[in-house]
Amino acid sequence: MPRTLAAILLLALCACDRAPISYPPPEQRPAVEGPAPDPSLMMVELKDADASAHYVKDIDPGEGWWRWTGQQPTVKVLAYTTQNLKLSVDFALWAVAMKQTGPVELSFSVNNHLLDKVRYTAPGQLHFEKLVPAEWLRTDEESIVSVGIDKLYTAPEDGKKFGFILTNIGFVPR
Amino acid sequence: MKAVLYILFGSSFLVATAWALGTMLLRKLGVSLYRVEERLLGFMVGSACLSAIVFALSTVKLASKGVFLALGIASIGYAIYSGAHRPKGAEFPPLPAIWKWVFGAVFGLFTVLYFFNAMAPEISPDGMAYHLSFVAKYYKAHGFVRIPSNIYAQLSQGIELLFFYAFAFGKHSAASMVHFAFLVVTTFLMLAYGRRIGYPRVGAAAALFFYASPVVGQDAVIAYNDVAVAAILFALYYLLQTWDVDKNAKLLVPIGIMMGFSYAAKYTAFLAVPYALGFILWKLWRARRPVWKPALQVSLLALLFIAPWMAKNWLWVDNPVSPFANRIFPNRYVHVSFEDDYKRFERIYSLTSYKEIPLQITVKGDKLTGFFGPLFLLAPLALLALRFPAGRQLLLAGIVFALPYMGNIGTRFLIPAAPFISLALAMAFGNAGWLLMALALGHAVLSWPAIEKRYCDSVAWRIDSIPWRAALRIKPESEYLSERSQQYRDGMLIQKLVPPGEKVLAMSNSSESYIPHEVVVKYEAAYNEVLGDILWTPMFNGFQPTQKLTFRFPARTVRKVRVTHTARSEGSMFDIHEFRVFDGGKELPRAPEWRLTASPNPWDVQLAFDNSPVTRWRSWRNAEPGMFVEVDFGRDQEVDGVTIETTDGYDQQKIKLDGADAQGKWAALAATPEASTAPYPVNLRGTASAELKARGIRYVLVGSGDIRADDYRKYAALWGMKCLGESNGTRLYRIE
Repeated sequence: MPRTLAAILLLALCACDRAPISYPPPEQRPAVEGPAPDPSLMMVELKDADASAHYVKDIDPGEGWWRWTGQQPTVKVLAYTTQNLKLSVDFALWAVAMKQTGPVELSFSVNNHLLDKVRYTAPGQLHFEKLVPAEWLRTDEESIVSVGIDKLYTAPEDGKKFGFILTNIGFVPR
Repeated sequence: MKAVLYILFGSSFLVATAWALGTMLLRKLGVSLYRVEERLLGFMVGSACLSAIVFALSTVKLASKGVFLALGIASIGYAIYSGAHRPKGAEFPPLPAIWKWVFGAVFGLFTVLYFFNAMAPEISPDGMAYHLSFVAKYYKAHGFVRIPSNIYAQLSQGIELLFFYAFAFGKHSAASMVHFAFLVVTTFLMLAYGRRIGYPRVGAAAALFFYASPVVGQDAVIAYNDVAVAAILFALYYLLQTWDVDKNAKLLVPIGIMMGFSYAAKYTAFLAVPYALGFILWKLWRARRPVWKPALQVSLLALLFIAPWMAKNWLWVDNPVSPFANRIFPNRYVHVSFEDDYKRFERIYSLTSYKEIPLQITVKGDKLTGFFGPLFLLAPLALLALRFPAGRQLLLAGIVFALPYMGNIGTRFLIPAAPFISLALAMAFGNAGWLLMALALGHAVLSWPAIEKRYCDSVAWRIDSIPWRAALRIKPESEYLSERSQQYRDGMLIQKLVPPGEKVLAMSNSSESYIPHEVVVKYEAAYNEVLGDILWTPMFNGFQPTQKLTFRFPARTVRKVRVTHTARSEGSMFDIHEFRVFDGGKELPRAPEWRLTASPNPWDVQLAFDNSPVTRWRSWRNAEPGMFVEVDFGRDQEVDGVTIETTDGYDQQKIKLDGADAQGKWAALAATPEASTAPYPVNLRGTASAELKARGIRYVLVGSGDIRADDYRKYAALWGMKCLGESNGTRLYRIE
């Protein structure tokens, strides 16, 4: 009896042996892709209601299509590609402020890499745009973009300090 | 009010059916027990039998309300017909009057507290998420439903099947009331045990130690199973001790049943089997009586209750003890890495040092979820009970049943050992009746919600009120639950916004037992982890195929090529996003006659051949030498290069390439690959969403505290998702 039982158990064990598991290649298709992203998703428009979600520092709260900045306005913005992107900033230098500060120098940085320094001698609506090296960017998390100004305007009424007027900031495809 | 009646009917009907089955069995066996013992042990043995019957009915999809009703009426009716309801057996000598009053008063007060909490809508995280969600699914399907996307569905569910029986009539709260019934039975069994061994005051005090303990009360009034497990283990112990005294071989029948029911109720109670077997063998051997026949009898009986659960898992998820032992039983349903992580977490929770445990489990109750009360700081004094033979038996059982605590240090995992420790502790003070009473009363006072909040942590897991309005359904169930549970609100968000039949991918549990939808929780099974991996790939560079490893070699004709990992890596897996083969510098098209395999985790090997940057084959365990991915061309094939696209990790470069000829002889094709890295250049968010959609996932639930929750909110358009609704920071997205 014990021998019969052992034989049955042995047979049962053999029955449990499994063939190696292998598969054919899956149906070959291009990578499933989502909808083509809208480039405006990489731009922080300060007039947008959710713009403050991108602020890191030195941007005044408020309403309307522009904001006063402090010395180093900084935002977080997601680049959905690392290739062929330009940093784009629309801003204004106020004539009254420049009378006090004189010419100012703005430093444009991406992820702590200095992209450019530009000296502005005249007030007005201004635009900055420059290609960002791909290796400075990543697509998994937001990039830190900042614009530093070397001299601040001090309001005579209350002594409050201002940098410049920011309208939008972010990345645009080349 | 109608709901209240259904709840009371469902739970009482279960208790009555179990009692009827168990009492009939005990009477049939002709075992000699005290009157109260027969009532209590009858319920316990009957619960085991009823659970097994519900298992059988669930297997053949006959587990419906009508069948339960017929089964219950037949069982109760036959028990009454056969006179099982008439008392039998001797009465214990009466308790000392003062103890009768003290026990009655404390028991009465806590019963009111527990009764209204058990009657209140089920609000426990695990009860809502899985204990009762499985029950609800079984109820709908009239039996078992295969749920491979939830590891908890693979645990033994002996108690949940009892919940199922009551749930059929009274829904969620009927299940909680059943669990509460197990607490009442355990308490009276402890009292009876003290009286049986001649220490009635010890029994009364210990029963109050256990009954009034905050964690015991909290656990018993919800649809968990720890207190039921304590009841089963104590009933088994009780039967063993009775058998040891009476030497009645017929007691081995309920003993075998309770051994098996222990495993059926909870894996961690499996120690009941070696404990009881060891006890029986030892006692028989010492008495120089035949050993093997009784041991075989109880083992076979236990196996009757254990084997069905193992068979269910073996058939459905290829692992009889799933979700554990996945190295021994490799399968596609649970990753080894999950098992390792799970065990690691359960052994530490959020503690910074194990020195925190004594205070956490007795006084604070926040980090280990619950506390027994300051009285149990005296637990080491239970060792004084070693001077009594019964004390030694209790301590041995307490230690054995506390052993699983080393695997999970949550306070409630000590509940199965608590009756034994309580009795031993009371026995240690057994000679000082006034002290014993002071301890029992002091423990009761310190365990009352209004008092315990003065010393425990503010977020300790405990009963904090008597929700009588909700219990009596004067306050509507949904209002009560919405006020108190974000998990319930998450479920309602799904209920409101997701069409029936759609799956929802979530990062954490929701109240699945209240909704018909399948919620796929990111970590709860291998399938879910692959979905989570896809979802997270865009948000973590470390998940992306940023490294290219290229093997170049003189052209060779081979039948198979294999990339093998050559090093051991702690904390990192071997993974391959894409495996490409070249001939003459051109990638070979992947032909249908190719056969792909991998070790381990062959089930996901196609993910390395699908051209998707958000999917990958992973070892799902620490990388080890010998792990491989292999292509069999099915014919001789000339090749001169292989490229692996993978994550950027040093360990990933520790690979080699071999080729096999038509005779199956392997030889090295190239030793080390050339490595190049570059950030993945394009947005993968939309790709990940599209990949999920292709796999049938159209809805994603993201809690405010979930990792990178802001990314979905701020870049929903990049994800190709639309936020459909929000509840306290939890957002439900639809993949467009």
